[in-house]
Amino acid sequence: MADQEHIEIDTLLDMPAPGRSRTGRAAALARLLHQDCTYLLELYRERESLLSDHTPAGDRIVSLSLSSPDLSSDEQVQLLHSALRKCLGLLECLILREEEEMGELEGEYETVRKGVRDRLGHLLHSTKVLLETEEDVTPDHQCNEEVDGVVGTFGAKMWTYRVLLELIHWANSASQTLHVLHSEREGREEI
Amino acid sequence: MPSLFFCILLLGLRVTESQASGLAPPQQVRLDADKETQTLSVTWEDGHASTFDVEILRTELMEMVLNETVGVTEDQSTGKHQWNWTSPVPLECTSLSVKVRSRDGQDVSEWSSQQILPGLDLPDNTDSQMYPEGKTVPVGSNMTFCCIVEEGQQFGSLWYKDTLVKENMLSRRTYATTMTNQGPSNPSGTNVVCSNEKKMIIAGAVVFVGYPPLPSDLVCETHDLTSVDCQWSKGRDTYLFGMTRQTYYTLNGRNCPKARNSNMRCGLEQWDGNWTLVARNLLGEFRLTDAAELGHRVRPVAPVNLTTPEVYSWNASVGWLWKDKGFERLSLICQVQRTSHLNSSTQTYTGYGLNTVVLKDLQPDEKYSVKVRCGSQKNFWKWGEWSLPLSFQTKMDRSVAPDIWLWMDSDNLGRVLWKPLTKSESHGQISGYEVILWSPEENSQQTLTLPQSVYSLPINVTDLGSKVTVTVTARNPAGVSLPANVVIPRYLPDAEDTAISKVAFNGSGFPLSWVAHANASCGYVVDWYNTSCTQDCNVEWTRVAADNTNTMVQSGNFFAGVRYTFSLYACSSESTVLLERWHGYMQELVPSRTVLRLSPNQEGADVQLTWDQIPLEHQRGFILGYTVYLTNASHLTLLANITDPQLTNHTVRNLVLGSYKFTVKAYTAAGEDGGATVSISLEPYTYWLIMEILVALGTMTCLLIVITIACYRKRKWVKKAFYPEIPEPKLPGDWGITQGTLDVKPSPHSMVHIVEDSVWDSSKEALVTVPEEDEEGTGDEAADTDEPASLRYYNQVVEEGSSSQRRPHASDSSASSTGSMDSGHTDVTYTGIQTSACSLAPMAHFQPQPDASQCVGGGGYRPQMQSASCPEEPQTGPEEHLQPPVGSFGGYQPQCSWKQDSPEADGDGLDQTCLGSPTSVTSSQFLLPYDTSEEGKEHPSSASTWFHNLLTGKP
Repeated sequence: MADQEHIEIDTLLDMPAPGRSRTGRAAALARLLHQDCTYLLELYRERESLLSDHTPAGDRIVSLSLSSPDLSSDEQVQLLHSALRKCLGLLECLILREEEEMGELEGEYETVRKGVRDRLGHLLHSTKVLLETEEDVTPDHQCNEEVDGVVGTFGAKMWTYRVLLELIHWANSASQTLHVLHSEREGREEI
Repeated sequence: MPSLFFCILLLGLRVTESQASGLAPPQQVRLDADKETQTLSVTWEDGHASTFDVEILRTELMEMVLNETVGVTEDQSTGKHQWNWTSPVPLECTSLSVKVRSRDGQDVSEWSSQQILPGLDLPDNTDSQMYPEGKTVPVGSNMTFCCIVEEGQQFGSLWYKDTLVKENMLSRRTYATTMTNQGPSNPSGTNVVCSNEKKMIIAGAVVFVGYPPLPSDLVCETHDLTSVDCQWSKGRDTYLFGMTRQTYYTLNGRNCPKARNSNMRCGLEQWDGNWTLVARNLLGEFRLTDAAELGHRVRPVAPVNLTTPEVYSWNASVGWLWKDKGFERLSLICQVQRTSHLNSSTQTYTGYGLNTVVLKDLQPDEKYSVKVRCGSQKNFWKWGEWSLPLSFQTKMDRSVAPDIWLWMDSDNLGRVLWKPLTKSESHGQISGYEVILWSPEENSQQTLTLPQSVYSLPINVTDLGSKVTVTVTARNPAGVSLPANVVIPRYLPDAEDTAISKVAFNGSGFPLSWVAHANASCGYVVDWYNTSCTQDCNVEWTRVAADNTNTMVQSGNFFAGVRYTFSLYACSSESTVLLERWHGYMQELVPSRTVLRLSPNQEGADVQLTWDQIPLEHQRGFILGYTVYLTNASHLTLLANITDPQLTNHTVRNLVLGSYKFTVKAYTAAGEDGGATVSISLEPYTYWLIMEILVALGTMTCLLIVITIACYRKRKWVKKAFYPEIPEPKLPGDWGITQGTLDVKPSPHSMVHIVEDSVWDSSKEALVTVPEEDEEGTGDEAADTDEPASLRYYNQVVEEGSSSQRRPHASDSSASSTGSMDSGHTDVTYTGIQTSACSLAPMAHFQPQPDASQCVGGGGYRPQMQSASCPEEPQTGPEEHLQPPVGSFGGYQPQCSWKQDSPEADGDGLDQTCLGSPTSVTSSQFLLPYDTSEEGKEHPSSASTWFHNLLTGKP
């Protein structure tokens, strides 16, 4: 299923398209990413035997606010792009730590995890195109235990849990923001 | 207050006690904690005692953890005592208070000052925590986990994996749980989670539960005669993953970084002869050793660069190279595996530095794939790796001689058959066949060339004499094959000369055996075909060596329910002779159809059933017989089981009248067919009754004829007995033909009265005899009817009614009577007189139908017309006419009145009494009763007339 979706995404990205449909495709990509992140968290809870009503304590890892009324859509996308870069950095760090801790496994969790990483990279490329600037698409996170506040094995798991929640949050934000942008640009085109 | 007092008292007692023993309490007690191993080290100084009491309490709740007397010797170098204790509870969980005192038997010193090991649940450490964290323990171990709740929060619950576990309070903020006999963890470890009352995770720990490594089967060998390659089995799964916890291997002290997952191997550059493998993880290590000489552990690498320097039809050579020169100086044993479309085989070769072999027994024009592997011939250890395969194709050669056979349809017509050559027989692509028919007697030869797709040839040997030999050769690019010869066998259809046996299929084929034949120099041939086939049959055959007298006939073309004919021929260069013949079924089935033309035939109370046999192709098995059933609705009652299959009729006997339904079924070893049914309804024996009646009638007829003949021959006697001769009256003079009454003197016994019935019916045109009225009336003479009667005969037709109408009749009548008149005799012998006019009715049918005028005069001879009233009384019904006249004589028709023949009598003739002189009439007529009924009138039949005529000799 993941391979099939990859083909769909690749096809979407490779298609030449006018400006107004780029936002639509980016919004669709964000929706798919949100679904993948949700599924990844479900797999993680299952693997770690964590009950769904047990939530980790702690603040948000990526603290950017898109809800400010002063921000234009383009500025919101700019912020979104930055947040997604941080999310990608966190995910890369997460993968690195888990492989150190458990070795290179090949279960479904690992497959979905890789899919989320790839899709998140695609979404970064999409938002960069939408911004029409030379934005960086590399991960924006230094994998540092002290910075992350990871203490011990269980601390790393809680950090992973929080990263997965962060991914869900920002994928959802991207989906909504890009949908709004898409709606605005479509309206502008029609006018 | 009382308790305080009690404590002071106790303290006073102890002080008194220690002072009394003289033992000094331990000094400078110090606690050192190894939290990783949960070990508490207690040291103190005191140089005199070797036994101490140690007491450990949880500081906050003052719960006793340990109170034990231990023996601790003084370290001479430091002068200190050290005692180690491993806590089951992580040392971080809560503070512990430790104190020690010296003991010497029953004497004890005072307790040392209490030393406290602070836990992490002190108020200045406000965060939530859980211990131990990230520990790796063996499967089955017990562990205690503690959760220190954040200051100000409330403890909620403890979870081990997804299981809620029961907690134990160690201090105000610390709760602990103990897990026993832990099972293996998953790769990310087992989580122990502590949550607050809001189910939020406030702390947690991970424990990795697994096994120490346990590898096995270390084996080291060389592939290149220089280096070492060691392999081993991973053994039991450790359940420990990741860079920290995975198993690491070293071989002779060198790391084996490639030994991961299932690839358990490690190499060294040089051959050491002894190897030690150490497997290590956090839970322990395991060692394996191996030792061997290099020559005993040679497993060569795969040969490279395989080539085929020489390739022929039946053999080829294969060469290869060694990457390592050392193998060129080693005695090697090599296997060469060759694979063709036919099979795969492996041959073994040996040699010093072996690098070339010759492959024999190859098939011409065949593609082969070969690969090679080798080992050390001396101290063989293991086969090396297979080389990459090499493909080549052998050259073509002449094909083998075709397998030919002949199948004769008749004496002179038949087919030459040969089997297609297989790939292994053709030795190349067959381009065609050549068939030669030659006769040494006629010295003639016919040659035919056929394409490669033809495998049979119709032949006609009419002009080639009695001994004809057929030769077939096959041609391919390499040349012409050796010839295959066969002498045409004599045509012998079934049921001629050769007895036919039955042969049963035994699961794999038809086993045939026979007596050896002297003239079978080139063996035997068994051919077979579908017995019911009549034209262009599929014939198969097999050849049997001359020294064999049995074979198993096998074919993929045998079908159940089909009869096959197997023929055994003895084959020689001179002739082909049919020896024996069999019939057999691969599997017998029930007949596919019923008997033909089943018909019943009633024979009195028996019914004979006849039928025709089932056609061969529908028999589907050897017909063993027939069963005859009486069918009643769906119920069959067995009447007969006919075990002779040639018998095709059966008689069911002694049946009563009624309808019957019979079913006849043929049966084979597999069972009965569906059955043919026929119905018959048994009729009464009508024909037999008719026959019996006819026989009876015939018998009666014969009897009558005999009687008649007898009577005829003895008629005189009969006449004399029954009708004695009446003397003929003697009349003087001639009887003129004058009109007048002819008087005949009646017999004294009877009189014949020629009566004209009052009503003349066409059917009553007859003479009637009646007894003499007067005779009866007077009674002068006995009424002896046997006596001849005098008849009064009017030699003239009575005039009745209009004369014009009667005239023709009168003339007829006169004509009729003319004879007698012409004869001039009055002596009339009248034998045709009937007893009643009505009695002539049957005769009327044989006469022309009278018209109305004839009613009066009547046809033919009507002398005794009683009355001419018919015209006058047309309204009178027939019954009245049939009634006897008034004054009849007791049922007899008396000749009551004689009519005058004279015309004068015309007017009142009817009323007149019988007049005239009677004449003597010889009458043979019996006087019969006058039957008033209709039947009675008809019964007097012509039989009496016939009888009378018989007696009188008239025809």
